[in-house]
Amino acid sequence: MGINEHTWKVISAIPYLLKGVGMTLKITFLALIFGAFFGLLLALARVYGGSISRRFAIVYSRIIRSLPLLVILFMLYYLASEILDLSPFLAVVLALAVHTSAYQSEIFRGSIQSISKGQMEAALALGMSKFQCVLYIILPQALRRALPYWSNEAAIVLKDSALAYVLGIAELMRRGEYVVARSSQSALLTYLIIGIIYFILTSVLTRSLLYAEKKLRIPC
Amino acid sequence: MMEHVNFLISILPELWKGLLVSLELSAGALLLGLIIGLPVSLARTYGKGIIKAIAVAYIELIRGTPMVVQLVIIYFGLPDIGIVLDRIPAAIIALGINSSAYQAEYFRGAILSIDSGQMMAAEAIGMSKRQAVLNIILPQALRLVLPPWSNELVYMIKYTSVAFLIAVPELMARGKMIISWTFKPLEVLFWVGVIYVIVLSLVAKIVDTIEAKISIPGFQMSRESF
Amino acid sequence: MAKQILRIENLRKKYGDTEVLKGVSLTVEEGEVVVIIGPSGTGKSTLLRCINHLTTADSGDIYLENQKIERGKTDLNKVRQQIGMVFQDFNLFNHLTAIQNVSIGLVKVKKMDKKKAMEKAYKELARVGLEDKINHYPAELSGGQKQRVAIARALAMDPKIMLFDEPTSALDPELIGEVLAVMKDLAMAGMTMIVVSHELGFARDAADRIVFLENGVVSEIGTPEKIFYNPEKQRTKEFISKITQLHTSGNNQESAGL
Repeated sequence: MGINEHTWKVISAIPYLLKGVGMTLKITFLALIFGAFFGLLLALARVYGGSISRRFAIVYSRIIRSLPLLVILFMLYYLASEILDLSPFLAVVLALAVHTSAYQSEIFRGSIQSISKGQMEAALALGMSKFQCVLYIILPQALRRALPYWSNEAAIVLKDSALAYVLGIAELMRRGEYVVARSSQSALLTYLIIGIIYFILTSVLTRSLLYAEKKLRIPC
Repeated sequence: MMEHVNFLISILPELWKGLLVSLELSAGALLLGLIIGLPVSLARTYGKGIIKAIAVAYIELIRGTPMVVQLVIIYFGLPDIGIVLDRIPAAIIALGINSSAYQAEYFRGAILSIDSGQMMAAEAIGMSKRQAVLNIILPQALRLVLPPWSNELVYMIKYTSVAFLIAVPELMARGKMIISWTFKPLEVLFWVGVIYVIVLSLVAKIVDTIEAKISIPGFQMSRESF
Repeated sequence: MAKQILRIENLRKKYGDTEVLKGVSLTVEEGEVVVIIGPSGTGKSTLLRCINHLTTADSGDIYLENQKIERGKTDLNKVRQQIGMVFQDFNLFNHLTAIQNVSIGLVKVKKMDKKKAMEKAYKELARVGLEDKINHYPAELSGGQKQRVAIARALAMDPKIMLFDEPTSALDPELIGEVLAVMKDLAMAGMTMIVVSHELGFARDAADRIVFLENGVVSEIGTPEKIFYNPEKQRTKEFISKITQLHTSGNNQESAGL
C-alpha cells in the first residue's frame, strides 16, 4: 500500500504536532510542582497537624479525589473567566495541581507513616525539635519511599494533561484535533501518532524517575 | 435560598439521567476490563515467548497513553478503516480497554504476592498447573485484588466523564448542557460535583461491606496505599 | 524380602556451578522409615523435591514401585498423587479451611464425590487429632496444628510413600512434640516414610535406617544403633554429637527427651 494523500498530509503535520509537546510538558511540570507542594503540606497537616488542620486535610483529599478532573477543570475555568482574572492556561495548571495534590497527599502521608516511630524518638532524644526531626530525619526517608508512587502519579498527571485541550490550549491533543479537522480521513493516523508521542513521553518520564530512585536509594 | 433550591430541583431530573448513563458506562467498562484483563494478566504472568510479549506490550501501551487519546482513536479514528461505532459502545469499549490494562496489573500483582509454596503444595498433591492456578492461586489472588479493584471502580466512575468529549450524555455532559441553557456554570458544576462525591462515597461504603463479608482470616484487606 | 517402593539411582543436580547432589542412590522398602540427616546445604531438601519432580534432577533415575518416573513420559500429576509431601513451612492453602485443605485434592485431583471427600477429610483430620478445628482457616491455627493439617492433606491422597521436609524446623519448641507424635503413629501404622529431620529422638525411636548425607553423597547409611553408637566414619560421629549438644543445651527439652 503506497502512501496516499491523506497519509501524507498527516505525516507532514508531525512537526506541527511535536510543537505541542512543549506545552504538554510545561503544564505537567508546573502542575506536578504545585501539586507536590500542596500535597506535602496536606500530608504534614494530616500526620502532625492539630485537629482542625488534620480534619481539613482529610476532607480536602476525600472531596477532591471524588471529583472528576473535568469537573475541577471547568470549575476553575469558569471561576477564572468570571471572577478571578486567570488565563485558561493557569486554570488548567491549577486544576491539575489541585487534583494531583489530593493524591500526592495520600502518597506522602503513607510514606511518612511508614517510617518507624523509633526514628522520631531517637531524634527527639538527641535534642532535636519536632520540626527538625521531621525535616532532617523523617522527610528524607519518607520522600525516598514515596518516589515509586510519586513517579506513578507523575505519569498520571502527564496523561491527564491531555484534557487541557477542552479549554483550547494548544498542547499535543489540541493540535491533533486541528490536523484532523483540516483533512478528511486523517483521524486514525493522527491520533495514533499522538498516542505514540504520549507513550514515548510517559516512558521517558517514568524511566528517568526510576533512575532517580536508584541514585537516591539507601541500602537497607 | 429558595431560589437555589428551586434551581436544583429544576436541574435534578436531567442530572439523574446523566448519572444513570455514567453508571451504565462504568459497569460496562469494568466488566469488559475484567473479561480482557484477567486473561491478559495470566498471559503476562504464566505465558511464555510471544504470548507474554503481546500481553506486556498491550499493558504498557495502554497504560502509557491518555484515556482521551484511546477514546478518540476508537470513536473518531476507527471510521477511517470502516469501523463506525455509536457513542455509548465506543465509550464503553475505550474505557473497558483502558481499564483492562490496569486490572491486568492488579491481578498480576496479587498473583505474584502469593507465596510460591502454594503452587508447590498444589503440585505435590498431584494438581496440574492449570488446576493449581484455577483452584489455589486465583481464589486467593481474587480476594487480594479486591482493594485495588475497588479503587479501579471509583476511578472508572470518575473517568467516565471523559465520554462527554464524544458527546455521550453522561453526568458531566448533561451538566455542560444545562450550563449552556442557564448560564449558571458554577452553580451547576457545584451540584454535579456534589453528586459525584455522594455517589463515590456510597460506592466506597458498599465495597467495604462486601469486603468485610467475604474476608477470610489471614488475608489483609487494607485499602490504603502502603 | 519386602516390596520395594522407591528406588533412586545415581541422582545428580546442579544449581548454577554448585553441584548439590553428586550421585545419590537409595532404596526404600514398603513400611520402612528412612530418616535423612546431614549438615545444611547438603541437598537433603533437593533430594526430596527430586523424588516427586518438584525439582528436576540433571541425571539419574527414580522408580516408584519399579516404574521409572520420566518427565515428559510419565504423568507427573499421577505420580505426585502417590507421593505425599509435607513441607517445612506447611504451605497450607490460605483461602481454604482445614477440612477444605484436606479435601481439595480428593475433589479436584481424584475427582471424588464432594460428600465422600469431606468424610474422608474428616477422618484424616481426626487421625491427626484435629476434629475440633476442621472449620478453621490456616491463619487461625498454631504452627503445630497447621503442620498436622498438612500431614492430613497428604495422607488423604492415600500415598504409597510420604516425604517429610524438615517438618518441625519452622515450629516453636513446645509445638514440635505434637507433630512428631503424629509422625510416630504413622510410622507404627506401617506408612513408608522418608523424613529429613534433625529430631534425633524421632530418628532413634521411629527410623529403620538413618542416612547421613554430606556434600551431595550418601556418606553413611545404617540402623539407628549403628549410626548413633557405632558409626563407621568420624564425620558421622562428629555430626551426631554436634546435633545432640545443640538440642540438649537449648531449651528444647521436649524433643530432646523423645
